[in-house]
Amino acid sequence: MRKKIGEKTLKKSFLNWFFWNGCSQQAESMLGMAFGQSMAPVIEELYDEKEEKAEALKRHITLFNTESQVGSICNGIVCGLEEANANKECTPELISSVKVALIGPTSAIGDSLWVATIIPILLTLCLSIAQSSPSTSWLGAVVYMLVYPIGTFILSWKLFKLGYRSGIEGMQGFMSTGKLNQLTETMTVLGLIVVGALTASFVRCTLPIQIVRDVFDATQGVMLENQVIFNADSMVNSIFPSIVPLGLTIGVYTLYSKKNWSPLKLMGLILVLACALTFVGYLTGFYA
Amino acid sequence: MSTGQIILIALFVYLGSIGSIVGNTIGWYTLGRPLVAAFVVGVILGDVPTAMIVGIPLQIMYMGNVTPGGAVAWDLSYATYIGVAGALVFGQGLAPTEVIGLAVVFAGIGGLVGQIMWNITYALNLPLNRVAQKYAAAGATNRMFVPNVVMGQGIGFICRFVPAVLVLSSMTIASAQADFATLIPGWVTIALGVFGGMMAALGMGIILSFLLKKNYHWAIFLAGFVLVTYFHLNTMAVAVVAILATVIYYVAVTNLAAREAE
Repeated sequence: MRKKIGEKTLKKSFLNWFFWNGCSQQAESMLGMAFGQSMAPVIEELYDEKEEKAEALKRHITLFNTESQVGSICNGIVCGLEEANANKECTPELISSVKVALIGPTSAIGDSLWVATIIPILLTLCLSIAQSSPSTSWLGAVVYMLVYPIGTFILSWKLFKLGYRSGIEGMQGFMSTGKLNQLTETMTVLGLIVVGALTASFVRCTLPIQIVRDVFDATQGVMLENQVIFNADSMVNSIFPSIVPLGLTIGVYTLYSKKNWSPLKLMGLILVLACALTFVGYLTGFYA
Repeated sequence: MSTGQIILIALFVYLGSIGSIVGNTIGWYTLGRPLVAAFVVGVILGDVPTAMIVGIPLQIMYMGNVTPGGAVAWDLSYATYIGVAGALVFGQGLAPTEVIGLAVVFAGIGGLVGQIMWNITYALNLPLNRVAQKYAAAGATNRMFVPNVVMGQGIGFICRFVPAVLVLSSMTIASAQADFATLIPGWVTIALGVFGGMMAALGMGIILSFLLKKNYHWAIFLAGFVLVTYFHLNTMAVAVVAILATVIYYVAVTNLAAREAE
């Protein structure tokens, strides 16, 4: 009789992974122990002999790493392969090499699409909710707290089942249709517009340069004291509103992505600039 | 902060960290995000509006912190919980921009502590591999959770909860010594305000590096920018416009792809 993994066991394997994939992260096997725990219920169901179970467990606590939310597809695929192996249709060597081969593509998709695109876009949308009115700003946080975990849970479970049902071929099909690219590109448009709006509303940087003089008002014939006759900030803003914050943001972007500055180094630079601007502001009488 | 509040915040510092017992989706990627963290701290300390004033800029500043490839660039959970709590405790009587500057400073301190603790857990977890190998060799499928969850998170909890309690307690003790709002010189609060406003550029700059892939993307970014500066829309209104534009864009792109396929 052909061995098959029950629905309950699959669910258990997925939940073990979803909740505890990062529990014992370290440099030796990365997420290896977590992967072993995820496979444990499956191995328990598929193999009868103690030796077989030990062999199977040993090959799943070795090095494994991925972006774990999208990477649940790996667990699904490996479940399918273990089932085949228990029915003598696959070899342990194949399972191990497939596992290693899955690390690269799933990490890449997970990190670039889910973590670096979907999360920031969802956050920017929730930030716009939070920012629209001070009295309901908590709403933005609550919406994120509900939408992100529930959405990710559903996606992660669907990918796990896709991996189990259609294996490697299924994953290749999913990656090569071009739908994924169209979706990413569309989400990028959404992200860019909202990031532009957030930059305009949140990045604050003024040019604290002004010239204050006593001016003689010829029409009235009196001296007017301490008149601002030149304000650098209102001058540049009359050309293009918020041009200084925009320039700062583009500067940070250039240093980060083109010159490979670390965020910490950039933070240091911003601190120095902030102190310098404050100093200049005091010199020209902008502050005080 | 009362003892109960310190313990609760420290507990959330742990839950929001990488690999905590509730999983990365609910922990690191939800409870660990500054927007959510600020709300949680606000509820615990009973001042949600001020917490959100601080949390929104912190979220923008740390928007680029998404840890691609599993490397922790900055310990977000520590940074934001400590940052928001610090701003609420020390910032009473200060103007919003100055409170934000204060939060940035405390977030820096918290992030540093968290970063050190992360490196320690990363090393302390190494011997767990031996335990896992022992259970695996015995074929003990029902014991595989012991090294992963019980031991891994035993270490995780101690390394994150305890330092957080220490940092939060010392903050509480320090805040009781003097009224900091009157103690800080004027130029420091102004510099803090300037710094806080400029730090938002960091998060925006980093997130742009993920999103900008083609040159014409600059035009899309600037469209969002001028909708605020010229048309004075708030960000929610821009988000609605953006969603509508995105739908149209998606239809155009898929139609084009379908025509090419023919």
